[in-house]
Amino acid sequence: MRVVIAEDQALLREGIVALLREQHIDVVAQAEDGEGLLRIVGGHKPDLAIVDVRLPPTFTDEGIRAAMQARSQFPGLGVLILSQYVEPVYTAELLDSDGEGGVGYLLKERVGDVKGFVASVRRVADGGTALDREVVKELVRNRHTGDEGALGSLTPREHEVLALMAEGRTNAAIARAMVVTPGAVEKHISNIFGKLDLPATDDDHRRVLAVLTFLRASG
Amino acid sequence: MEPERNTRMNWSGWLSLQTSVFGLILFVCIVVWALTGGTFWPIWVAMGLALPIALQLSIREALKAPRRWRALAVQGAFSGVIVGLNVFIWALTGGAFWPIWTVLGFGLALALHAIILTRVPVRERELVERVDVLTRTRRGALDVQAAELRRIERDLHDGAQARLVALSMKLGRAEGRLDEHPEIAELVRGAREDASAAIGELRDLARGIAPPVLADRGLEAAVDSLGRRSAIDVTLSSRITRRPPPVVETAAYFVVAESLTNVAKHAPDATAHVTLAEEPGTLVIEISDNGPGGAKPEGGGLSGLRQRVQALDGTLAVVSNPGEGTVIRAELPCE
Repeated sequence: MRVVIAEDQALLREGIVALLREQHIDVVAQAEDGEGLLRIVGGHKPDLAIVDVRLPPTFTDEGIRAAMQARSQFPGLGVLILSQYVEPVYTAELLDSDGEGGVGYLLKERVGDVKGFVASVRRVADGGTALDREVVKELVRNRHTGDEGALGSLTPREHEVLALMAEGRTNAAIARAMVVTPGAVEKHISNIFGKLDLPATDDDHRRVLAVLTFLRASG
Repeated sequence: MEPERNTRMNWSGWLSLQTSVFGLILFVCIVVWALTGGTFWPIWVAMGLALPIALQLSIREALKAPRRWRALAVQGAFSGVIVGLNVFIWALTGGAFWPIWTVLGFGLALALHAIILTRVPVRERELVERVDVLTRTRRGALDVQAAELRRIERDLHDGAQARLVALSMKLGRAEGRLDEHPEIAELVRGAREDASAAIGELRDLARGIAPPVLADRGLEAAVDSLGRRSAIDVTLSSRITRRPPPVVETAAYFVVAESLTNVAKHAPDATAHVTLAEEPGTLVIEISDNGPGGAKPEGGGLSGLRQRVQALDGTLAVVSNPGEGTVIRAELPCE
């Protein structure tokens, strides 16, 4: 797997690079701002770009803008945003942005949980999603009222499963979190797919679609 | 103090110069009269020469009155000199006592002036000026404070938070290499969780100062974000074209945030609508909901908001009749 990283704070950039290399993930290039990100993505054609939201020169949302541009410009590129804070406006923009690659939005401190972070990196590089549990919590909180459409027909239990799926958890992890059997989780998931009218094709792909339906509905 | 003494000396010097020149002129006139005879006409010359000196002396005395009464005293001094002059002329010419009319006229004007002064007891113009200055300096102080808070927020982000993230990253890597020492690994994981908690606390602190999206994208995006975070359904209509000053933007943001929190707390089934509009020189924020109404305008959250708004010379109105929902309207001046 080939990864590039855009982070202006050297301390963090070098830390993440060292951590990924220890896990045998190849960091092929590094950038310090949005322009640099587009340049190295164009030059190295990586599987994944890890991008800090705040980048020079504006130190506002430069990173997320550059990441969305890169995602639409380079089909298949996964984008994993690292941020110091959860911002529903940004996650919604990210999920709505053009592009086929995976998307992720994690709080920076999740990097400390090496196993979890590396799993997120791999998942987004493979076209999946990795949403921070704080992001999902905010979105789920909003969903408890004013349910509309297909999502409204989900039971609270199915909602819970979908929220955990949005975080990018596996069926086994969801089963552990909800203290049920993996079989029960699978049943919930197939109900969700049915209610959201997702065609029975590739299971992984449906999973992503279900999560995106769920997240977009909260936007 | 030095310059004042100087002007005084100049003044008395100037006065004695005038007096001596006038005295000389009068003396020449008297000599001429003594040589030519006739009625004693130099008395009129004396009167004419005395008039400016009398005016100068009396007005100068009047100017020593306390500031509030100074204008009245000057008017009084002037009236006194003119009345004196009239009486002098009457004494020389005789006939009915016509200066009574002058006395009555000036007396009336003085009385009117005195009445006005007592009716408007404050030094109004001074106060107006003072208020002007205070408004400007307070606004300046608030602007500085808003900028300073945003700087602190940024410093937290770039400094302490970044270091804690780096720390938690290193602890995470260390943890991975301690598979053979599970009890040490446990300790390291605890340390990493503490670091995460500290990062979380710093994040909450920074958000309380000013949410990043407000600084990054402005009021409309920040209110949109509030709506998405809110437990109730929120719609937004915004008609603002340019960004207000940071201090106004922050106050407007917290008005919306607090109002939506109140709606979610007291009317969890309601929906809310937020309107942002620009009127000339004013930013208008309105939050209306279809909840049960009956909110107390002086409730805890609302009085805090009112203080925030009033610090910017804005107004906050709450209309909340039972059964009719609640409307909170804030108007914030922004030049």
